[in-house]
Amino acid sequence: MPKISRRAEWSWLQASLPVAIVVAIGLIAIAIEPLAAQGYTPREYGDFPVIGSRAAIWIAAQLHLFFAAFVLGVPMFAVVAEAIGIFSSDDRYDKLAKEFTRLLLVSYSATAIWGAILVFGLITLYPGLWGYLSEIFAPSMWVYVGIFFFESFTLYLYYYGWDRWKKGRAKWGHWGLGILLNLWGTAVMLIANSWLTYMMSPPAEVTPDTAPGMVQFWSAFANATWMPINIHRLIANVVFGGAIVGAYAAYRFLSAKTDEERAHYDWMGYIGNFIAISALIVLPFAGYWLGREIYEFNQQMGTTMMGGFMSWLWVVQAFLIAVLFLAGNYYLWVGMGRIPGAERFMPYTKWMLLVLLIGAAVWATPRNMIADRAEITAMGGQFHPFLGVLGVMSAKNTAVNFMILTTFLSFLLYRRANKKAVVSWEKTGTTIQGALFAVSAAVVLFYGIYGYFVPSIVRIGFSVYQVLAVIAAIILVVVIDVFMMRGAESRGEIRWGEMPERSQYALFILAVTFTWLMGLMGFARSGIRQHWHVFEVIRDTSVDAATPALGYASIVISACVLIFLSLVTFIFWVGGLAEKPVISGTAVGATASASADGD
Amino acid sequence: MTNIKVLGVMIGTLAVYTWIANAIPQIESAVPEEVSFSADVSPAELVAAGAELYSGGGGCTTCHGLETRAPNLLTDYNGEGTIGQRCGTRVSGQDCKTYLHESMMDPAGYVLEGFEPMVFQARVLSGAQIWSLVAFLQDQGGVVTVSGSDVATAAEADAAAPAGGPMVASNDPLEIMRGNLCLGCHMLDGEGAELGPAFDGMGSRIATDRIRTGIIDPALEIAEGFDHLAGSMPPNLGDMLTARQLEVLVDFLAGQGG
Ligand code: HEC
Ligand code: HEC
Ligand code: HEM
Repeated sequence: MPKISRRAEWSWLQASLPVAIVVAIGLIAIAIEPLAAQGYTPREYGDFPVIGSRAAIWIAAQLHLFFAAFVLGVPMFAVVAEAIGIFSSDDRYDKLAKEFTRLLLVSYSATAIWGAILVFGLITLYPGLWGYLSEIFAPSMWVYVGIFFFESFTLYLYYYGWDRWKKGRAKWGHWGLGILLNLWGTAVMLIANSWLTYMMSPPAEVTPDTAPGMVQFWSAFANATWMPINIHRLIANVVFGGAIVGAYAAYRFLSAKTDEERAHYDWMGYIGNFIAISALIVLPFAGYWLGREIYEFNQQMGTTMMGGFMSWLWVVQAFLIAVLFLAGNYYLWVGMGRIPGAERFMPYTKWMLLVLLIGAAVWATPRNMIADRAEITAMGGQFHPFLGVLGVMSAKNTAVNFMILTTFLSFLLYRRANKKAVVSWEKTGTTIQGALFAVSAAVVLFYGIYGYFVPSIVRIGFSVYQVLAVIAAIILVVVIDVFMMRGAESRGEIRWGEMPERSQYALFILAVTFTWLMGLMGFARSGIRQHWHVFEVIRDTSVDAATPALGYASIVISACVLIFLSLVTFIFWVGGLAEKPVISGTAVGATASASADGD
Repeated sequence: MTNIKVLGVMIGTLAVYTWIANAIPQIESAVPEEVSFSADVSPAELVAAGAELYSGGGGCTTCHGLETRAPNLLTDYNGEGTIGQRCGTRVSGQDCKTYLHESMMDPAGYVLEGFEPMVFQARVLSGAQIWSLVAFLQDQGGVVTVSGSDVATAAEADAAAPAGGPMVASNDPLEIMRGNLCLGCHMLDGEGAELGPAFDGMGSRIATDRIRTGIIDPALEIAEGFDHLAGSMPPNLGDMLTARQLEVLVDFLAGQGG
C-alpha cells in the first residue's frame, strides 16, 4: 500500500466545493422570492448570446444530468464491488471499489458545478417558469439541498475512511456508509425527477388557471410519470456507470505499460461491461412501462411520442440500442480468446451475431414504411406485408427479447468457458438449461406471432408473458449453473490482460453510444411537451417555443457528449495525479507516467 | 498514438450519430399560433398561421414531406424547386396565388402527374385558413401576394354559405361516400385509397356502434393499427351527413362482411 500524501493538500478544498456551491444556490434561490413579493415582477425570459436560451439551458441540464447519473451509478457499482470483495475475500474488488470512489469525489464537484450553472441559467433565462416551479416545489428544493449536503459528507467518510475501517465489524460499518450514500443519491434523484416529470405530466386538476400556490404538493410530486421515470433512470444510471467504468478501464488498458496493469484494467473493463450489459437487459422492460404510462396520461402525448414528429427518433434509438448490444457481445466474444476452454463455444458466436443483427433490424424498422400509392395497392394495404408487420410492437418486443436471451447466452458461455463441471448430473443440467432457453424462446415467438391475431389491448398483455418467460429462464438457468459449477475443475485461469486492443474500442463505443442515447432520450422527454413548459398548463411563449427537428437536436447532444467526455477525461487524469492506482507495489511508477501523458 | 485512436473512435462515433440524425426526415414541431383573421391581417401573420396549420391541424404532413406519398412542398420536388418557386409555372396563365388556391379548393381538377388526386378536405378549413396556407406555401421560396382583401372576401363567402349541411342529397351509400370523399381514404371493392382502414370487411371487424362513433367522433377510439394517423379522419363528417345518410352508411358498412 503506497502511502499518498499529495492528495491531502487539496482534497479538503475539493471536498467542500460542492457543498459550498449548493448552499450558495440555495441562498440565492431563496433570496429571489422576497424580491418578487415587493412588487417587482421578474421578466418571463432572458437572452443568452449566440446559441440562445434554449440551447444554453439544454446543455446545462444535460451535463448536469450526465454527471448526476454518473455519481448515482458509480456508488451502486462501488457498493456491490465492495460487498463482493467482502464475501469472496478477493481484494481486487475492494480496490476496484475504492478506485472508483476516488473518481466520485471530483465528479461530485462537477455535478454541483453544472447544477449551479443550470439553476443560474433557469433564474436568468427562464425566471417565469422558475418562479412557478419554485412556488410549488419550494419545500422539496430545500430538502434536496439538505440531502445533497449529507450525501457529500457521507461520501467523504466513505472514501477517506476506507483504509481506516478495513477489518471485521468496521468494514461492515464502512459498507453501510456505501449503502447510505446510495440512499441519499437515490433520494436526490427522486426529488429532482418529480420536478421534471411534473412538467411533463402535471396532475389533471392543474389547469392554466391554477395558481401555483394552489397545486397540491403531493399530487404534483408523485405525478403520473414520476415512478416510471425513476425506475427507468435508476436502471439507466447503472448501465451508464458501468459503461463509463468500462471506458476508463479500456483507456488505462491501452496505455498500460506493464502486464500487471494490463491484467488489472482488462479485468476492470470486463466488470464494467458486465454491469452495463446486465442492467441494459432490464431497461427495455422499464421503457415499455414508461411508454405505457405516458400513453395513459395523455393519448395525444403518446401519439406525438411514437407516431408524430418524433417517430424517427425511435428508429435512431433502436439503432443505438442495437449498437450497444452488439458492442457488448462483441467484447465478450473477443474476450473468450483469453479463456482456456472457450474455443469450444466459438462456433456459436456467428449464430448469435445473426440473431442480434436480425433483432436489431426488426427493431429499427419504422412502424409504417411510408410507401407511395402504387406500392400500397400492390401490397394490398397501408402496411407493407412484411416490413409493416415487423414494425408493429409485437415484433419489436419479440426482437428485443431475443436479443436479451442471446446476450444472456453470451454471458453464460463466457462464465462457463474455463470450467469443467464435476457434478454427476452435468449432462442433465445442461440439457435442462438448453430446454429452458428453447422454451422461453418458443414462448416469446409464440406470443410474438399470436399477437398479430388479437386486438392491441390483448397484445399489450402478451408482452408481459414474453418478459416473464425470459426472466424466468434467466433466473432458472443461473440457479442451475451456480449449483452445477460448484467445485468445478478449471480448464485454466483466465489470462487477464491478453486481450486484443480492438476489443477495448468496443468499450469506448459502448460508453459514447450510451451517453449519446441518454442525451437523445432527454430530448425525447422534453420534446414531447412540445410548446409547453408544463404540459397544457404553462405555455412556452419564448422565441424558442417550437421543438427543433432531430438534426439540430443531434448537434446539441453531440456537443454535450463531447463536453462531458472531455471533462470526464480530465477528472480521470486528475484522479490519476492524486493517487496512483494500487495494483501492487511495483507497478506504481509506470502507472503514474502512463496517466500523466494520458490526456 | 493510443490517444489519437481513442479520440478518433469517439469523435467518429459521435459524427456517425449526428450524421444519421441529420439524414432522416427533419420534422419540427411548430407552435400553433392563435391569429385572428381580419381584413388588415399582415402577410407575416398569414404565413405564421399557415405554417401552424400546415404542420398541425391542417394535417398536410400526413402526406407531404415524405416524398413518396405526395410531392414535397417545403423542399425541392423533381428539380422544380420548392413550392413557392414552382407554383407560378404549373398552369400556364395562372399565377402562383391562384394556382395554389385552386389546387386546394378543387384538388381533383389539379392532379400532378404520377400521383393520385390529393384527398383534401377543403371544407374542414375556413376560407381564411386556406388563404393562410397559400401564403405559407408562397413563402417557401416565393413572394407572398395573398392580401387581407382575399381573406376578407373568403370570410364573407364563408358567412354567406355556412359550413356544414349535407354534401349530397342522395341516400345511396355509394353516392354518399363518393360525395363525402370517404373513398379518398378508404378502400371499397377495389375503389378508393388505402389511407384509412378498408371498408371491405368492416362489419365483421368492428361493431355497428363503433362504426357510428367512428364516423361521428373519430378521435374517440382510433382504429386498430392506425394510431399514427389519428386525427386524419375528418372530425366534422357528422355535420355533413343527414341523420338518414348516417344510418345508411352505418348499415352499409356493418353489412360489409369478411
Ligand atoms: C392524403 C394525402 C394529402 C394530404 C393530407 C395533403 N395533400 Fe397536398 N397533395 C397530395 C398529393 C397526392 C398531391 C399531388 C397530386 C395533386 O396535385 O393532387 C398533392 C399536391 C399538393 C399541392 C400541389 C403541389 C405542386 O407541386 O403543384 C399543394 C399546393 C398541396 N398539395 C397542398 C397541401 C396542403 C396545404 C395540405 C394541408 C392542408 C395538403 N396538401 C394535404 C396529397 C395530400
Ligand atoms: C382524409 C382521409 C379520410 C376520409 C376522407 C375519411 N376517413 Fe374514415 N378514417 C380515416 C382514417 C385515417 C381512419 C383511422 C383512424 C381513426 O380511426 O381515426 C379512419 C377511420 C374510420 C372509421 C373507424 C374504423 C375503425 O376501425 O374504428 C370509420 C367507420 C370511417 N373511418 C368511416 C368513414 C366514412 C363513412 C367516411 C366518409 C363519410 C370517411 N371515413 C372519410 C381517414 C379518412
Ligand atoms: C432497450 C431499451 C431502452 C433503452 C436502452 C433505453 C435507454 C434510455 C436512457 C439511457 C435514457 C436516459 C435516462 C437518464 O437520462 O437518466 C432513457 C430515457 C427515456 N426513455 Fe428509454 N430506453 C429504452 C426503452 C424505452 C422505451 C421502450 C421507451 C418508451 C416507449 C422509452 C422512453 C424513454 C423516455 C421518455 C426517456 C426520458 C426520461 C428521462 O429523461 O429520464 N425508453 N432511455
